[in-house]
Amino acid sequence: MKRILNLAGNRVFQGAVLPILLLVLWELASRQGVAYAYAFVPLGQIWQGLLELLQTGELVTNLTATLRTMLVGLLIGGTLGLAVGGMMGIFRIVDLLIGPLYHTIRQVPLLGLIPLIGLWFGNGDFSKVLIVSMAAFYPMVLNTYEGVRNVEKRYIEVATVLRFSRWQLFRRVLFPGALPSIWTGLMHALAFAWISTVGSELLFAAGPGLGGMMQNAQSISRMDIVVIGVASIGVTGLLLNAGFSRLRRYSLRWRETG
Amino acid sequence: MSIPVFRWRSPHERFLFLLSPLLVIFAWVWVSRLGLFPDQILVPPQHVWEAALGLWESGELQMHLQQSLYRLVIGFSVGALLGVAFGILIGLSNTVENACSPLFHAIRQVPTVAFIPMLILVFGVEETFKIIIVAKAAFFPVALATHDAVRGIPKAYFEVARAYRLPTWLLVWRIILPSTVPPVLTGLRISLGRSWMVLVAAELLAADSGIGQMMEMGRQMFRIDIVMVGVFVTGLIGFSLDRLFRSLEGRLVKWKHQS
Repeated sequence: MKRILNLAGNRVFQGAVLPILLLVLWELASRQGVAYAYAFVPLGQIWQGLLELLQTGELVTNLTATLRTMLVGLLIGGTLGLAVGGMMGIFRIVDLLIGPLYHTIRQVPLLGLIPLIGLWFGNGDFSKVLIVSMAAFYPMVLNTYEGVRNVEKRYIEVATVLRFSRWQLFRRVLFPGALPSIWTGLMHALAFAWISTVGSELLFAAGPGLGGMMQNAQSISRMDIVVIGVASIGVTGLLLNAGFSRLRRYSLRWRETG
Repeated sequence: MSIPVFRWRSPHERFLFLLSPLLVIFAWVWVSRLGLFPDQILVPPQHVWEAALGLWESGELQMHLQQSLYRLVIGFSVGALLGVAFGILIGLSNTVENACSPLFHAIRQVPTVAFIPMLILVFGVEETFKIIIVAKAAFFPVALATHDAVRGIPKAYFEVARAYRLPTWLLVWRIILPSTVPPVLTGLRISLGRSWMVLVAAELLAADSGIGQMMEMGRQMFRIDIVMVGVFVTGLIGFSLDRLFRSLEGRLVKWKHQS
């Protein structure tokens, strides 16, 4: 009895109750009739679908394609964002020239640009990577800019007294000072890049990718594959986030924590 | 993420502020005059303007806008209200928080757009699916902001409430809601932007009206001018909604400092 009480007080157990309850309800709903089984696919069928996707290698192919689009976009958009944000933070003239343009273009919801980009560049990989790069670019610019602007003035004064060259000032003072903020930008960039990868794959349903896989499954009413797609996107996003968080902690380990 | 606010200091800087957008428009006019690209690919600005006027005069633009804004308002209100309620609930009760938070965070992690095919299968391509997807996009940031705000209320407030034997609904109405207003407003602003993007995406995928559907039709008919009108309008709406909430936030923060 005491053990059961302990179990009920366990946080893991408490957190598991609701999902398990929902799964049971889902399974029960799927047995209410054909119309219900269409929306609430039986869990067994989802499992079968998963095995099928793994055996044909479809899941792996699509997941790899999605990850590649995301990482290429993140790399391009992140690097450009770092460069532009850094320049805006260091040189006031660049800030004044590019800032207004940046803040104007940023207002357009990214996925709303898809019809335009589709008309200009077709619906292949290039368009997808372009959208993802833009998604990564915006937060990277913003946070790099803020990071560079908020580096303590005292440090810059010390560097001036020590007659640091421009490169040394950047390498030894501005970049390390802005690094925490740059990492915040990168984490945002990762999240936005992931959202827009999925979004652009759904909207440009051509070529391999999880979004395209789900879109095809939806058109042939294969709810099981759609559910597997949603779950894969969720799990992959979670793993990416965890991986980048570890990198961030490692890269900022020199910072005093407390 | 705080967004830097531009404060121009001199007429000289004010000129620079307008310079880059003006340069881009100038370059656009100039390149389309040169005829490097066919008009179907790089539409001259005046064609976009004419298309906008045409859409406005025929009433099409207003019709699409009305549809989109209607979906946004309904979906956002439902999602935001549920989000505030749920946020307060998990902010006040540890039991409810422990029970709901794993599921909550698992669903929150998945990008909203990924749920579009699933919702289309269950609810079809009609209004219900669009309102649900907008509500989903609004719910999570608002619930999270409300939860954090409730958890941030000083313990002393609750002790005073207990000492005065304040009933729960009064505790919520007189203490929790007022002291969480500024952070919740920020949450509302962020989720409004996301809801708008998700709605446009959903309309691009499946709709018979709305600003997203107008762009999708424009794309299918190779009418870049119409697509560009759509891009400008969605940008303008997103910008105005953001500004509206920002000014609200400003006012309420001022109220907070005065008291």
